[in-house]
Amino acid sequence: MHEPILHNLLQQELIEPEDAEKIALFVSKKPFSLHWELKTLLYLGVLLLNLGLGFLIYEQIDIIGHAVIIVLIGAVSAVCFWYAIRYRKPFSRGEIKSPTHYYDYILLLGCLTFLIMEGYWQFQYEIFGTRYGLATFIPMVLFFALAYWLDNRGVLSLGITALATWLGITVTPQALLTQNDFNSGAIVHTGVFLGAFLTVIPFLSERWGLKKHFSLTYLNFGIHILMISTLAGMMALGQTMLYFLVLCLSVGFFLWYARTRNSLYFLTVAVLYGYIGLTYMLIVHTESLNFGFRFYLFYFVLSCAGVILFLTNYKRFIKNDQP
Amino acid sequence: MIAYNKDWLDALLTKDTARKWHEKGLLSDEKWQIIQERHPSNFYSPNVFVRIGLAIFTLILLMAAGGLVAILVEPESELGFSIFCLFWGLVCMVVLEARVIQPGRHFGSGIDDMLLYVGIWAILVGLCYSFNYNTPALVYLVIAWPFLVAGSIRYLDRLMAVAAFVCSLGIILWVVKEIPRLALYLLPFAGMLSSAAVYLFSKQGQTRYAWRHWHGVLLVLELLSLVTFYTSGNFWVVQQAGLDFFQMETVPMAWFFWLFTFLVPFIYIFEGLRRKDRHLLDIGLACVAAAVFSFRYYYHVMPLTWAAVICGAVLFLTAYFSIRYLHQNEGVYSYEEDSEISLLQEIEQQLIEQTIVNQPGPTPDKKEGFGGGQFGGGGASGDF
Repeated sequence: MHEPILHNLLQQELIEPEDAEKIALFVSKKPFSLHWELKTLLYLGVLLLNLGLGFLIYEQIDIIGHAVIIVLIGAVSAVCFWYAIRYRKPFSRGEIKSPTHYYDYILLLGCLTFLIMEGYWQFQYEIFGTRYGLATFIPMVLFFALAYWLDNRGVLSLGITALATWLGITVTPQALLTQNDFNSGAIVHTGVFLGAFLTVIPFLSERWGLKKHFSLTYLNFGIHILMISTLAGMMALGQTMLYFLVLCLSVGFFLWYARTRNSLYFLTVAVLYGYIGLTYMLIVHTESLNFGFRFYLFYFVLSCAGVILFLTNYKRFIKNDQP
Repeated sequence: MIAYNKDWLDALLTKDTARKWHEKGLLSDEKWQIIQERHPSNFYSPNVFVRIGLAIFTLILLMAAGGLVAILVEPESELGFSIFCLFWGLVCMVVLEARVIQPGRHFGSGIDDMLLYVGIWAILVGLCYSFNYNTPALVYLVIAWPFLVAGSIRYLDRLMAVAAFVCSLGIILWVVKEIPRLALYLLPFAGMLSSAAVYLFSKQGQTRYAWRHWHGVLLVLELLSLVTFYTSGNFWVVQQAGLDFFQMETVPMAWFFWLFTFLVPFIYIFEGLRRKDRHLLDIGLACVAAAVFSFRYYYHVMPLTWAAVICGAVLFLTAYFSIRYLHQNEGVYSYEEDSEISLLQEIEQQLIEQTIVNQPGPTPDKKEGFGGGQFGGGGASGDF
């Protein structure tokens, strides 16, 4: 498909003949990149090898015993961390490019094996007893420290997850709805607090000029935890007015954020959550009035038309002069 | 033939191609600016998130509006409901054509996609609603076929193309299945032949300049036909189909299908490398995995753990040494990242990111059979 387009552009004199020659040469001589295929094979290989060896060792558990396995996993983790620290680049408050091809993955592997080791230890010997808080506090501190020191967003996500676990909630956006029981007020309050906290962090770090590029990770966790917690507060705790107010405030905040920072992701997500909340409010508060099916259909038609109108005009809503 | 403005589609194509050259440093900034100015396209094609949002709200809107109309009209009989569905589908299509695409300038905005899907769906439901239960599936497929094909041609829609492909293959296999006695022998070959035909068609089509706007649609067909070609001859598929449709325990010409199962993936990979065809190569790699699984389904030559260790080691070593080789010998093939990533790789990238970010703590230990902990830094089950 390149030649006809190149030909057209040449005819319109939008491209110099020398450039066209360069392009044609480049297209025909361009090396065929096997990057993705080989990388995928490599990861698959590592994964299979790990699974297989893990099972093999586990089958021999009677002979070698738990302690040896824990030490083995710990050794893997330690080697990964040693690698990560050995090849690190000097600390900077901004973004650091990863030093080697596999650096990020090795660091992540180190963190995951650390978790497995700790979990195994707890499961087998109950080193933390019932002090689960401590058991999640240690990886949390470790992950946050590593994320900031070695500049890794994957580890930061793990750290935020550990923080949320520590606070009593399981978080990763998709897993949130299925794994949690939202009937307890404490969890909802914690969720609202945590969501708000995570949302504020990026603004602080921007002020202090510390790891600004972590903003998106924080905000992504923040918006989902905050919105789902407030919706849960409305639906499960029954305090509709209070939580609706919180929801409106947070939707308003994220719309403001989307407007000033030009972020269509947060625009769409905020609109979606806001719409769910609004619809729920309407249905709950008109239940006693017996409006009938027709009323709600009208509501959906009109409200959706409104939202569509809003979203299609997003260019006018979002300030374009901002970077 | 295309509902969208062709000049703008052309402009988009030119700009997309020129952008790659610009990114590679083959075009100067001024030239790139001029090309952009001289190729205006005024489509409304929002960002992917807005597109998803718009699609969701359009769907709710169409459902609710359809419900309202249904309440007003109150179709009571079966025929009445059919006519209502047809009417509603036509309304969707008219809105799409006369409002959204032409004056509205929408192209891949979520609204046009959803109107097309709902419209075609409503029309098909309207046409098929009055059939009774024992109508053969073939009838439904034959009725749906022209709509799906027309939809994918006129609106350049890839999802419609997938549906049309599946529908066509269904028709062919259904017809062949009804041939007495020979059906079992003919089915796999019918699948292979039709897939091969679609593959050649889409490969040919992608080189035609006149068909440039359907490039994406043809690409989807190419990938699908490669997959179905292999599936048609895979031993496991053939054996299971024989068991389900004809209650046959053994597969005739088993040697042929085993040969096919193992040979075709390597032909894909070899040809993919020789012709520098990424789709062939990627699907070939996936087919190797399918072949291994098919084999293990029948013959447990070694315990799973040893199989995993050996496969893992082979994969790891192959990849590792290939990467080293490519680093040292730059040539026709390279290990440098390519800016054009194909559809498959994009999906894979998404998946890797999703699993890494969303892996809750306990999952890895469960996978490796350590019995899973009550605790998990990444995500305990909220039991404290």
